[in-house]
Amino acid sequence: MSDSVQPSQGGNKSLTLATKPFAPDDEVALREALKRCSPSTFEAAVQFRKTGNADHMPAVVIGVIERFVEPDLRAKLKDADDDLRLIEDLGIDSLTMMEIVILVEDVLQLTINNDELRNLRTVGDVKTFIDCKIRGLPLPRPTKFLPIEHIGAVMPVQPPFLFLNEASVSSTGANGKYKITGQEFFLQGHFKDNPVMPASIMLEALGQLAVLYLLEGAPTEPGKAIGSNTIFFTGCEGVRAHRMCKPGDILTLSIKPKRMKMPLATFEGAIRVGQEKAVIAEDITLTFAYVESAVVPAVISAAQPASESENSANPPLRVAINA
Amino acid sequence: MPRVFITGLGFVTSIGNDAATVSGNLREMRHGFELYPPFQKPDIACKVIGTIKGFMTDSVDPEDWTWPAGYEIKRETIRSMAPHGLFAHCAFLQAIADAKLSDGDISNRHTGLFAASGGSPMLTYYHHDRMLKLGPARCSPLGIVASIVGTLNFNLVAAFKIQGASTGFSSACASSAHAIAYGYEEIVRGRQKRMFIAGGEDGNRDAILPFAGMRTLSLQSDPALASRPFDVARDGFVGTGGGVVVVLESEDEVNRRGVAPYCELAGWGQASDGYNVAISHPDGTGSKMAMDNAFEATGIKPAAVDYVNAHATSTLIGDVSEARALRSVFGEMGIRPGISSTKALTGHGLSLAGAMETGFCALMMREGFVPGSAHISKLDPACDGLNILRSTSTQAPKVVLKNSSGFGGANVALLMKKT
Repeated sequence: MSDSVQPSQGGNKSLTLATKPFAPDDEVALREALKRCSPSTFEAAVQFRKTGNADHMPAVVIGVIERFVEPDLRAKLKDADDDLRLIEDLGIDSLTMMEIVILVEDVLQLTINNDELRNLRTVGDVKTFIDCKIRGLPLPRPTKFLPIEHIGAVMPVQPPFLFLNEASVSSTGANGKYKITGQEFFLQGHFKDNPVMPASIMLEALGQLAVLYLLEGAPTEPGKAIGSNTIFFTGCEGVRAHRMCKPGDILTLSIKPKRMKMPLATFEGAIRVGQEKAVIAEDITLTFAYVESAVVPAVISAAQPASESENSANPPLRVAINA
Repeated sequence: MPRVFITGLGFVTSIGNDAATVSGNLREMRHGFELYPPFQKPDIACKVIGTIKGFMTDSVDPEDWTWPAGYEIKRETIRSMAPHGLFAHCAFLQAIADAKLSDGDISNRHTGLFAASGGSPMLTYYHHDRMLKLGPARCSPLGIVASIVGTLNFNLVAAFKIQGASTGFSSACASSAHAIAYGYEEIVRGRQKRMFIAGGEDGNRDAILPFAGMRTLSLQSDPALASRPFDVARDGFVGTGGGVVVVLESEDEVNRRGVAPYCELAGWGQASDGYNVAISHPDGTGSKMAMDNAFEATGIKPAAVDYVNAHATSTLIGDVSEARALRSVFGEMGIRPGISSTKALTGHGLSLAGAMETGFCALMMREGFVPGSAHISKLDPACDGLNILRSTSTQAPKVVLKNSSGFGGANVALLMKKT
């Protein structure tokens, strides 16, 4: 867990790939290897192999993943964001993941170790991972999937005012889900005989996800951690509500950090219901403070069993969804 | 004694990819042999095999394969298969429909699957060669489960969500007869209510040509002459592949579901030659003992048997050995059941043979015919005293004996009874 996305100073930024010339034979082999991928995948792979330019990498990786996804699920990949999950959303099992890796290794001329694979859970994880490999950067901290028990253990906010059922946190952002049950106390009055999730509460839910990110995902200074009782709301801007959300709706929340400098962290946030936009917030700003990291080891150790069981057939996330 | 019935069949064979075509070809004694393109080379003396029509599985990449319309198989399912996995998968779908089984009938702890195949020499070679040339990191993660002996049960159990007993059988050309026999045991002992028995073989160059090293393959280039069990001029067997699935069910299940079975699987016997690793005992002692054991186990008298589907593969030694065994069981008592070898039409399906031919027998019992032993122009004198059928009889058999023998001198005899 000591990995970090922050580029280490003087890291081995060797672009060894560009140094190897791309021969016509290589192109033939590449075409054969990618024969079941889209033409644009092949083109991107050729460009990558010729120039070593990592900008072509995402197209190659997505193209290879697409080739291994059952045709009826490929549409999901077309307009996917980086949070699309390989197992749960795309039906990719660990053996298919191996097939993907072998093909990516072959096409991009990389070597990927088994233990590096274990934490790749989303399309974004894979892209970031390959990008780091190519650029010779340290590997990112893997996405953590947090079941409700874990969320409850680390968050300063507690039920009945906690609006997250499950969440995943990576170094680049956080995602969460909340199902509106209809039992929320405020729905009795909001509105009379017409329960509608208040927009302010939806904003609160995004804020809670941002808090979770600060506690579980944000890069920190050595020996320091963000104190859970130091985080407070300061402001938000550019808020739009697009859709009424009612009992039964499952809110899909996401936040991404835009700026982070003690004592302020600013995020952009969005809530969807299925594919429909529900709420957008351009800026949500929180204040926070560091405490000595000795205060939080309980949190870190609590994360260990979760990450271990992530490899099982029934990851905690699944359990949380069913809960 | 609990009773066991055959209630469903599925076929992908050299003589047809469905029960109706298979039945028609057996009845009309039409063979499934062709000159096999990979064998048309000067250094390959063997020319003919029993080809599987409508499937293209030459590539080592299952995603290149094609199969007849009407079978929907996902990439995720086919990626771990050998060619015979595809054949048997299609046969499995036929057998499910034929037996009128629901999803719930298939996937439960009382329904199991036994399978038999020789694995996939083609894929074993391909993946092994790749490992040695490119290193293990470039090997397909599914190379092993697609290649090794057991690939058939691994794939079918996963694809059809089997939850009961499952394993594979490996006694070479007796394998799938053993699978049927032990499937019968599972049901008789009340451990399972229903068993799927699957046999399969790739039947391609890599599966068949190694037998050339034993000089057991027919070198005839005329497809109509190459396989002729019991003929004096026979010169070896003709290889074939395919996939066959036989559904066995308990009497209770047959009654509960209200289906009409093909026939009863009355019981079985086995015995070994204890003689040679590859050559059958010249007097067929193991085969005789297997038949004796089957009669003893079922209480059926040899005199009740009206048809024997012989193992006879068209090899010089094997056919004589079985003829002697048959004579010692029947001939000495003056009993003359009709005898034929359907390998004259299909070729020798190796691990597939027992299940394929048991399936044929079940068809014959339901439809009321017995095919002749094809391609005999001069009967081997070693068959004197045996009623080797030369043409199809439309007399419905009431009790059928099915012999199978494999390497190491393993012999299995299955007895079927009309219901």
